[in-house]
Order: sequence, then C-alpha cells, then structure tokens
Amino acid sequence: MPKDDQKKIKLPRTAKGKKPQYFADPTVDKLLSMVLTLMGELSVTRDRLDTVERLIESNGLFKVDDIEHYEIPDDVNAVRTERRSAYIARVLKTVQDELDSLQQKGDGKNTELED
Amino acid sequence: MIPLSDHSMLAKRVHDEESRQSFVNDFRVHLASQVFPGNFPTYYNRVLPQFIKDKGREPETRHEVRRVMTHDPYYSFWSAMQRNSQEMIWDSVIDSVERQLPELIEKSRKPGNKGSLTLDPDLETPKYHVAADIHLQPGAYHSDQIDDDVAAGAMYDWGTYIYSMGGLGTGNNALGQITYGFFKNEFPDAKPKRILDMGCTIGGSITYWAQQMPDAECHGLDVGAPVLRYGHARAEALGAAVHFSQQNAEHTNFEDESFDIVMSHILLHETSRTAIQNVFNESYRLLKPGGVMMHMDLPQAHGQPPLEGFLFEWEIYNNNEHFFAQLRDMDMPELCRKAGFKDENILPKSAGSFWMEDQTPYADDGFEFPITMAIK
Repeated sequence: MPKDDQKKIKLPRTAKGKKPQYFADPTVDKLLSMVLTLMGELSVTRDRLDTVERLIESNGLFKVDDIEHYEIPDDVNAVRTERRSAYIARVLKTVQDELDSLQQKGDGKNTELED
Repeated sequence: MIPLSDHSMLAKRVHDEESRQSFVNDFRVHLASQVFPGNFPTYYNRVLPQFIKDKGREPETRHEVRRVMTHDPYYSFWSAMQRNSQEMIWDSVIDSVERQLPELIEKSRKPGNKGSLTLDPDLETPKYHVAADIHLQPGAYHSDQIDDDVAAGAMYDWGTYIYSMGGLGTGNNALGQITYGFFKNEFPDAKPKRILDMGCTIGGSITYWAQQMPDAECHGLDVGAPVLRYGHARAEALGAAVHFSQQNAEHTNFEDESFDIVMSHILLHETSRTAIQNVFNESYRLLKPGGVMMHMDLPQAHGQPPLEGFLFEWEIYNNNEHFFAQLRDMDMPELCRKAGFKDENILPKSAGSFWMEDQTPYADDGFEFPITMAIK
C-alpha cells in the first residue's frame, strides 16, 4: 500500500519560464485564458450530460423529470462544493499562474544561450 | 480523439478527464486547420503592404517579419490561443496522473526484467534543462516531486500524444518508426548489435526499435529520472528489452567504440551551443568504426522564405524551446567535422512523414524531419 504522504502529493501546475504577453493590456491575456477554459469545461459538461442521457435511455433507470425534482443530500452537496471549487480554480488558473511564477526560483531564461 | 493504446503504466482517465483531453485535442486541430492558415492572408493582404509602404521593399529575413507580425491583431490572437492550448494540454492530463500517482509508482517498482534501469542521483541536470520547463510541462522532465516519482513520464505519455493531435500514433512511437524506417531503407542488410538513443524521455522511439530488433541490445539515456522510471516500466509492460540509464548525452559512461548506432529524436534543439557539439563528440566516441550516427531534429531556417521561417519558429518564443532559435542557423555538417567524422561520411538527410496520421490537419503537408547522419 502507498504511504500516507504519497496520497497527498500535489503536482506543480505552472510551467517555469517567462510567459509571453500577447495583448497591450495583460488583463486581456487573462480573460482569453478564462474564456478558453470555459469553452473546454462547457464541452466536458455537455459530454457528461450526453453520457447520462444515453445511459438513461439504454437502461431505463429513471425519468428525466426526476432530475428536476432531485433533493440534494448533504454528502452530495459537499462533493459538489468541492468540485465547484476545483472548477473555479481551473478557470482562474491564469491568475494563479502569475502568482506561481513570482514564487519560482530563477528568471526562466536559458543563460547558456549566451555561451 | 482516438486514445493511446492501453498499457499497464498508462494513466487511466475517468469521464471528465477523457472529455477534457478530447476537447484540447479538438481545439488544437481547429487552431491548426482553421485559424493558423489565416496568418497567410493576414500577412499578404495587411502586414506586407504596410511594410512595403513604410520601407519601400519586402522583408528580407524572418526576423523582420517577426517584428511586424507580432503586432498584428490576427496573428496575436492565434498565438495567444495556441499558447493557451499548450498549457491546457498539461492541465488536461495532470488530474489523472496526480490521482493515480501512488498506484503508478507501485507498479513501476516491480516491472519485468527484460531490460534495466540505472539511475544516478548525483547527476547534475544541465542548465539548459532547468532554466525553463520545456514545452511548458509543469515541473519539466527531471523534477521528482516524491520518492520514485513517475509523474513526469505519465504526463509526458498522454501530453505529447495530445500535442501531436494523435500524430505520434496510438503507440506513441511515430518518431521511432521514422528513424527505423529510414535506417532500414539506408542500410537494408545491416544487423546492428548495440543501439543508443540519447535524450529518450519515456523511450517511445527506442522501445519501438527494441520491438523490431529483439536481438539488438537497446539503450536509452536521459537526464530525467521520473521519465526514465516511467519509460522502463512502460517498456517492460510492452514486453520490450530496453536498458535505461540516467546520463547526460554530452558525457556518458559507455566505453569507446561500443555502439553500432547512436541516435536521438528531437533532442538537439533542447540543448545549448556548447552541449550540441559535446553530443556530436560523444556520438563519435561511442561509435564503432562503420557505426552510424543519426540525430533527427526539426527543420532549419536554410531555404525557408521569411514568412514561413517566422511562423515555424513560434515554439521558440511561446513554448520554451529557447535553443531552437540558434539551432535554426547552425552548420550541422561542421559539428560532425569537429567531432571527427570525415567529410565524405557526413550525409545530411531527411525523413518523414507518417508522423502525421490521417486524424491530424498536417496529414498532407509533406513535413519532413532532417536527420544529421554520419558514418564513423
């Protein structure tokens, strides 16, 4: 069995190196990153919904109307809260990237290029 | 997206992880096939006429094109989206790797015994590798986040496949297929006994060679421990005998004249001006008389028109491929000469391109990789 400390590993999420600025106002760079992430997440959600609809149809498990009147149990609520939090972090990753880069050692330049 | 062929080390993806990766793949296909081509009319209809108006002539170099194109709104927006898509690749693969990491490490600790893995914890990672995370893979290829880490390798397996939009093939070995096909074509009767792949990362290419030539002793070296651990376990899972070792291609511990083939697959542009000569010198030292050096890398600037030359260099400035800027203009035969190869045995070639299979937008563009080949 893996050790406890291995279960808590968090891999780095921001690549070291200077990130180019593409627009005159760096805020536009961040907004674009967020829009593209939202595009991706909406696509993921649509795929998931499609999977659910297909499973409903093939298994006859419940009626689509049941979804409208679903009462959220506490444990489900907790899972959704955690997922929403991760979702928000993913869309706002571009903001976190800036912070991570400030905290990384070195300036991200390849100093051997001058040799 | 057609998934990679499964093997026991491949990180498994739950529903949303698969969907997120497929989105990034499809987004990149859209950028490559629908948005990138717009840079040509943008240049010819807008940027070039303005340049001629200002200077009374056309741009003479790719550097002149860069200075004007990078301010064009169409180019900038494509470029920004392309950069984001690269970051999104890693973001889409990291969750499944992070979630399964303890299990992947456990599996890698008991691989088969066809090949071997030799790590050197004291090996200094070269500056050109630590300065910035190559290809924007967070943590790069050499960083251990935990004991016996394999995360960088597990991320690399899915990440490079999505980067290539499936072009590396479902076995993630198209580059090895290219060099193997090239070698068989150049030397149909050769029976190499000992083969070395420098900068092998997870061994996609050398593992393919080992599968094709089970009687040859196949070695792969890299500076990154986590990619080697993963590559070793991956090769064993695929039933291939490959000997992986953590070494710098500039100076290895192998004996003089001990290999029939010394090769690399898109390694050179990740090094430095000093290192690349060292790699060629080391290749010469390691080859037996009559042995073949084959370093496959990305196209150089010679002969590319200024616009194409500029567009080809996007990854230098946007994907942490810094040394590629210099490699573009380097004299590869001269590196061979300095390493000791005789003029008549230096044979620059090129090979391609089943790198791009029919699911990619590049399928028909005839892309070829130059191969710096020399015979000792």
